[in-house]
Formats: sequence, structure tokens, C-alpha cells
Amino acid sequence: MLAPMEITVETLQRLGGFAWTDAELEAIRPGVLRLLEMLERLESVPLDAIEPTTQYRML
Amino acid sequence: MSDLVWLSMAELGRMVATKEVSPVEVARAHLDRIAALDARLRAFITVCAESALEAARAAEADLMAGKITGPLHGVPWAPKDLYSTKGIRTTGGSKILAESVPSKDATVVSRLSQAGAVVLGKLNMHEFAYGPEGLNAHYGDARNPWDGSAHRIAGGSSSGSGVAVAAGLAPGSLGSDTGGSIRIPASLCGITGLKPTYGRVSRAGVLPLSWSMDHVGPMARTARDCALILGAIAGYDPDDPTTSVLPVPDYAAALGGEVKGLRVGLLRAHFTDVATPEVRAAVEVAARRLEQAGAVVDEVNLTQIDHVAAASSAIVASEAVAYHAGWMRTRAQDYQPDVRERLRIGAFVSGAHYVRAQQVRALVRREVDEALAKRDVLLGPATPIAAPVLGERDATLGDGPSDVRSALIRLTRPINFSGHPACAAPCGVTASGLPIGLQIVGRPFDEATVLRVIDAYQRLTDWHTRRPAVA
Repeated sequence: MLAPMEITVETLQRLGGFAWTDAELEAIRPGVLRLLEMLERLESVPLDAIEPTTQYRML
Repeated sequence: MSDLVWLSMAELGRMVATKEVSPVEVARAHLDRIAALDARLRAFITVCAESALEAARAAEADLMAGKITGPLHGVPWAPKDLYSTKGIRTTGGSKILAESVPSKDATVVSRLSQAGAVVLGKLNMHEFAYGPEGLNAHYGDARNPWDGSAHRIAGGSSSGSGVAVAAGLAPGSLGSDTGGSIRIPASLCGITGLKPTYGRVSRAGVLPLSWSMDHVGPMARTARDCALILGAIAGYDPDDPTTSVLPVPDYAAALGGEVKGLRVGLLRAHFTDVATPEVRAAVEVAARRLEQAGAVVDEVNLTQIDHVAAASSAIVASEAVAYHAGWMRTRAQDYQPDVRERLRIGAFVSGAHYVRAQQVRALVRREVDEALAKRDVLLGPATPIAAPVLGERDATLGDGPSDVRSALIRLTRPINFSGHPACAAPCGVTASGLPIGLQIVGRPFDEATVLRVIDAYQRLTDWHTRRPAVA
């Protein structure tokens, strides 16, 4: 079994295939945290039965 | 300066058809004005004087031979610089694509050329359409023509389109709208801009920002001109699998009617109520004006809009970084700083976030559909503020402080999210003389009613006929 891994901004950017400097990561950290906070709030929206619009078509 | 530059596309087309004016004369009038004003306004990234005159001469020759292609024959226009144009560089407002010359036209450019319209050049924009301010570090920031002294932003991302049309450098344009990029500059520059239903107009050959949120649409000074452009570009395209097979109505023919009996929902919470007092008052007056003309106006509160900012950011940010990932790994320093930062942030949206955001999208679309089941259109402000000064970062809205960027997209983004058609048009000016824009939202594929309401409003008022300070 794999040991628990702490997911940090640094590990996430590596998962995305990007290699940014500490200074570059620091610059985006506030924006990333703001976005992740906003997305966390979506967890409380009751969406269970709703089909996602993965192929978006009006008609 | 020639008065030809202030005529509508419909009027220019009529005068060309009746040989009152030559397409060459019309193209020259606009090119002269671009030469005189664009160093200051920075609406254009590329001016195509020679090819424009060549196309105008060809339109004239066709006319003299008795061949006329329709109401846009010999009428000039200019696309935002993310539409592929054969043989003309298409930069996306970027350094990365500064020398990129497509080998074919975008579908909509091709359709307008077939309609006889003449391309004047390619218009400025926020780099890769990723910003509502309309700023560009590589080609200069487009300047809002409504303030002769301070440099105010034009709004974006289709900033050059807003400026060019407002200042008489081009009578019409095509913008693109992912979070409001047609309607925001239309609102800030005092012109009319339509975001059609998702799927109504082909995106083939248009640089993407976010495939599932991008919309292509017209920007002009009147609803009638938007109708003419839309009529030429709308319809199924095998090169864009999201385009609809629904037939394209004659949008121009649908104009001219009254609004008597039309049911209009004034969007209150999250829309009109969050605007600045001047914007709120102008939109309420517009609603009363429609009511006096016979429309039945009631108030609507959409409750799911609270979730749009987060969900929309997740979709746009992750789709944008997917498109840009290659360049972000090899040419990150060639992006302007704000765009680079937004793209990097997109790398942190997970797959689960993205799918949840698409679920929220279905929820919001359902709510807008329900509001429109009882009404023909919805009405609200296009932007909660008028054009800010370049560099201004903070705004005060009806519900508190906001950063300018969030304020600009707040009222337009929900309609990209839902995919409904929406049109912005001028409905007043602030105490300092800056345009205020309203937006009309319609049922899916009912652009005809949206344009009909704006056209009726423009026959009742003269806001769309006002000319900016710089012009």
C-alpha cells in the first residue's frame, strides 16, 4: 500500500507536466488557493442526479 | 473626414447596391480614418489596406457586371485577430503567433467574403482572448474612444472590435465571447454586440480559449447590422461538430416589429441589483421604456448564479491550459504576465472539479430555461460598471467591493455558461459621459427575438447614435 502523500501546489504542478521555479509558484499561489476554495464550495451544491454537460450542445 | 464612416452596414450596403457610392470609396474612407486615428486608439494589429482595396475593386467590378451578392456586398468589416484569414497573419494578440499566416479562412470569414464583405484588417484583443480588460502587452492597449483625456480600457477580450466600431474605423466586426468578450467591449464602448446561442455559429478556424464556452458573434452599431452579419455567418458547418442543423431564419426580416405584449423579465438579484447606481438606474429606465412601448415587464431572480464564478473558472481555466500546455512548457516567457498566470492556475483544476462544474452548468442552464419558459427575453445590465481607467483595480458594486476584472465578467459569464443568446447595446451614459450597456437574453436559437427587442429599443432611443469623444 502506498504511503499517504501530501498534495501540494508543487506536486500538482509536476503532475501537470510543468516545471516552475519557486518564485513562479509563489506568484500564483494566492490565485490557486482562491480558485481551490471556490471549487470546494461547489461540493455543497446538490448535484447528485444531474448529468454533466460533458458534450455541450444546446440542441 | 468622410461621413461614410458613420453609416451603418445596412445603409452602406443599400448605397453600394444602388450605386450611390462605390465600395472603393467606402473602403478608402475607413482606411483614411484608420490612418488618422489608430496610432492613438490601437484598435488594429494589422491593417490590410492593399487587399481591402483590391477586394473593394472586385466588389465594384461585380456590381458593374450586374452581380450583387447581398446586403453586405462591398461593405467593409474587420475581424478580431483570432479568426484565421488566408494569407493574413493571425496573431491571437500574441507574440507566439506573431508570424503565423493561415492557409485558409475561418468558416465565418469565408462566409462573409462570399457575402461580398471587405476585410479592412485584424483587430486588437486581450492576448489569446484570456482577459476582460482588453489589454495587450505586445501590440499596445486599445484605448476607449469615449474619453479624450484619460486612457480608459475598451473592455475585452474583443477590445479592438469595440474601439474600431465605436470610433468609426470599421462599421462592423466579429468578436468572440467566452465570458463576455463581445458584450463587455460593446457595453464599455457604446456599441451593439451579440453572443449567439452556443452552436448557432461555427468556431472552425477561430483560435480557442475554451471550446465549450467560446461563442462567435457580430459587433456593430445597430441591431440591424448585427442581424445582417449573423444571417451571413450562422448555420451548420461540418468543420465544427457543435454547430446546429437548425435552419437559419432571416434575422433582418424579423426586425421592425413592436414589443407590444412581449414578456420581459428584469433580472434583479445578481444582475441589476449588483450594478453601480448609474448603471442600475439606466437599465431600469430602459425596462420602463420597453414597458411604455407595450412590453409586459416583471422581475426575475436567478438563484443558482452564485455558483457560476467557481464553475465557469474551472471549465475555462482547465480547457485553456489544455490548449496552451505545449507553449506553456516551451514558451511561457512569451505570454503577457496576467495571461501566463491565469493559464498556470488552470493546471490545478482536477478532473473531478471539471465534471462537477459541468454539472453546475446543467443546473444553471435549466434555471435560465425555466425563467424563459414564462418570458420571451430577460433584461439586465451587460456590465455593472462603465469603462475604468487603465490600471484601475478596484470597483464598488451594489453588493460591495470587487476587483475590476471580476466585475467586468460578472453579468455576462453566466450566459456563456448557460449557452443562451444575449445581446448588449447602449442604454445611457454616466455623469462623465461614458456608455452604459444593457443585455437582452433570449431562448436558445431565438436570436431573432433578442435582436427584435434591441432593434425596437434603438428605434425608441438614440443612445446607439452617439459618437465618442475621440471620434
